[in-house]
Amino acid sequence: MSTKEHKSKGVDLQRRKILTGATGVVGAAGATFLAVPFVSSWQPSEKAKAAGAPVDIDLSKLQPGQMVTVSWRGKPVWVVRRTPDMLERLSASDSQLRDPASQESIQPDYCQNPSRAINEEYLVVVGICTHLGCAPLYRPAIGSPDVGADWQGGFFCPCHGSRFDLAGRVFQSVPAPTNLEIPPHHFVNANLVRIGEDPKKEGVA
Amino acid sequence: MSHKHSETQASEKQSSLLGWLDRRYPLVSTWNEHVGEYYAPKNFNFWYFFGSLALLVLVNQFITGIWLTMSYKPSAAEAFNSIEYIMRDVEWGWLIRYMHSTGASAFFIVIYLHMMRGLLYGSYKEPRELVWLLGMLLFLVLMAEAFMGYLLPWGQMSYWGAQVIISLFGAIPVIGPDLALWVRGDFVISDVTLNRFFALHVIALPLILIILVFMHIVALHKVGSNNPDGVEIKKYKNESGLPIDGIPFHPYYSVKDSMGAVFFMILFAFVVFYWPEGGGFFIEPPNFEPANPLKTPDHIAPVWYFTPFYAILRAVPDKFLGVVAMGGAIAVLFAMPWLDRCKVKSIRYRGASFKLLLTMFVVSFIALGYLGTQPSTPELTKAAQLFTALYFAFFLILPFTSVNEKTKPIPERVH
Amino acid sequence: MKKLVWMFSLLLAMPFAAQSAGGPAIELEPAENNLRDQNSLQRGAVLFSNYCMACHSLKYMRYNRIARDIGWSDEEVVAKMAYGMNSVVDDVETRMLPGVGMDVLGTEPPDLSLMARLKGTDYIYTFLRSYYQDGQGKWNNHALEGTSMPNVLEGIERHASSEDYAQAARDISNFLEYVGEPAKMKRMDLGWKVIAFLLVLLLLTYILKKEYWRDIKH
Repeated sequence: MSTKEHKSKGVDLQRRKILTGATGVVGAAGATFLAVPFVSSWQPSEKAKAAGAPVDIDLSKLQPGQMVTVSWRGKPVWVVRRTPDMLERLSASDSQLRDPASQESIQPDYCQNPSRAINEEYLVVVGICTHLGCAPLYRPAIGSPDVGADWQGGFFCPCHGSRFDLAGRVFQSVPAPTNLEIPPHHFVNANLVRIGEDPKKEGVA
Repeated sequence: MSHKHSETQASEKQSSLLGWLDRRYPLVSTWNEHVGEYYAPKNFNFWYFFGSLALLVLVNQFITGIWLTMSYKPSAAEAFNSIEYIMRDVEWGWLIRYMHSTGASAFFIVIYLHMMRGLLYGSYKEPRELVWLLGMLLFLVLMAEAFMGYLLPWGQMSYWGAQVIISLFGAIPVIGPDLALWVRGDFVISDVTLNRFFALHVIALPLILIILVFMHIVALHKVGSNNPDGVEIKKYKNESGLPIDGIPFHPYYSVKDSMGAVFFMILFAFVVFYWPEGGGFFIEPPNFEPANPLKTPDHIAPVWYFTPFYAILRAVPDKFLGVVAMGGAIAVLFAMPWLDRCKVKSIRYRGASFKLLLTMFVVSFIALGYLGTQPSTPELTKAAQLFTALYFAFFLILPFTSVNEKTKPIPERVH
Repeated sequence: MKKLVWMFSLLLAMPFAAQSAGGPAIELEPAENNLRDQNSLQRGAVLFSNYCMACHSLKYMRYNRIARDIGWSDEEVVAKMAYGMNSVVDDVETRMLPGVGMDVLGTEPPDLSLMARLKGTDYIYTFLRSYYQDGQGKWNNHALEGTSMPNVLEGIERHASSEDYAQAARDISNFLEYVGEPAKMKRMDLGWKVIAFLLVLLLLTYILKKEYWRDIKH
């Protein structure tokens, strides 16, 4: 039916326009509401969240210089008990690092410090190279044969040669762009660290 | 459709995106042929909502079904657990699952009413025989789709329902037992059966459904819609060649069907949110127990939409003939366009004999549906036999009474 | 046609088959539980832990979900239901070791996650209250004759008032109804909002339809 015909019949086209618009808007809002369950059903399920719950690690059996690996949300998390000697060597390499103060890297605020830790002695770090997701190797010894004579101890990624110091900080001129990620964690007591949960108070268990 | 050519030419001159598209794909002409300039009789009543509603439910089943496959695990060891995982652990999983389970029952309610409309107004008659046949094929595929989907939750009813139906194949002489074995892929219903039913339920049968729906609509639009008066609107056309009693589907029936769709969604939402088990008919309580091949539930009944046919099966005391009767009850519906020999389409102008027969048919169908849900007792079996006889009597008597039916005069044009 | 006639006469000639159906026979008492009663759910959870969990599990439930839904903290749920022995993300497992049920009771006690959906709360309520001692002083149950399950609420029945005894069975039934479908309350809270929205949309589509159909003369 043409517009002319409509006019002759006394049809209020304006009214139709408004009604169609209103129905369309409310209908589109309904469609959006309906989309919510479908979109959010892709979020991690309760089961996934349960599997990603915080993990506790007992530190009492960890020797100085030793590293343990635990799985948290399916990712390897390393806990390294650093010796005073290792900690001392950390600041020496600052000039060769890409992000020595961890400005560009991912860590909780309470770990954005030179040793990247709550308690200097224990480094808690996600063991996934920030380049392409390989698992770096722990090479704590000075001059480890597969890394080089000038090696001061740290992590070395065999995939593309990225190097990190013993605070997980990345060296310059390697492919990895940022320091290794530090997961949220806190000390439940002196010998028990809980990974996946922030401390109640800033930096303190 | 005389507008089609001028429209196409107009689009060729258009420089808009629509014009660009239309020169490469018959966008405007397809829209016009099936929506914008599809002229439908202006006198559609309540019964004419169910076609578009069936399409709505189909879309619902597709979307919720796709989402369910994202968390469902088609294996005997994990299927039941994965349903509970969806109901409890997946965000909004319960809603998506209830929409799918409610949708299954809603589908059959809508389809049965849609078929009833066809019977009432003679929509199966010339020139719409093919529309009816394609619709019956759709119904058949839909039943297969529902049956296979029902096995997937791997509850007691899923398992034993499938067991009963598959063993029906075993009743076929000579090849029966081997056929049942082949369908199961195992000596009992097992992981293998579940896996192949899953494949058919989520890929093969939905694909066939879509194709058949497409053909059903194309066939309908070729011959044009019937209406409650059962007269052809194409008989009277105006000077531009358009049926006088027809109105374009869009906007008139698109706004009307939208209203119907929203009304339907309210009922649907009520069931999903407040009555998802449908009184034990939409989701049967025994299905909350995982399938156990060693323990049969006290009373096995198929889901409600199969019960009329199940009652016919049980009414016949011979296994093979029971299967024949059940299959025949569905098959005979295909023959409707030829069994009904009356030229008058709509029940409004048909004789008393047809009204009586159709009433008898509907009553027996509903009665059989009820009887199929009940445990069989001698009295109920007798009742089921009576209604089975009446069900078939409809198709047997109709060819004789419809030839010389005393019909009322048909109006020239629709009311 | 001849075939159809033949089939029809065959149908009529069929002898009547008979088959009787058996069924459980006692009338169920209404549980009259209320899912909105969080105190009842909390009591039910503790009763479940004390009287049922020695044999039965709720393998589809996690402690933290229970805590969130019935108004406990993570610490509380572990303290009250698991005596601090489990993590909040653990499933609610039975304390009985595998195989013990078969040795002691002659059957594996079923998981109860879905019992309320399978049998209904009235059944659970009635079942818990239908124990009796037969002639030899052996426990049996009117709702499920020959059950291997002992009368676990016997102590409450003997020492508490009959109201408290009924309430204990009601609380357990209530808790099991919640466990059967943890999203049930969320579902009911959302439903009316969806329907209210659709009613607005229905009104709009109705007016729109009316407006367009003014064109059509009948």
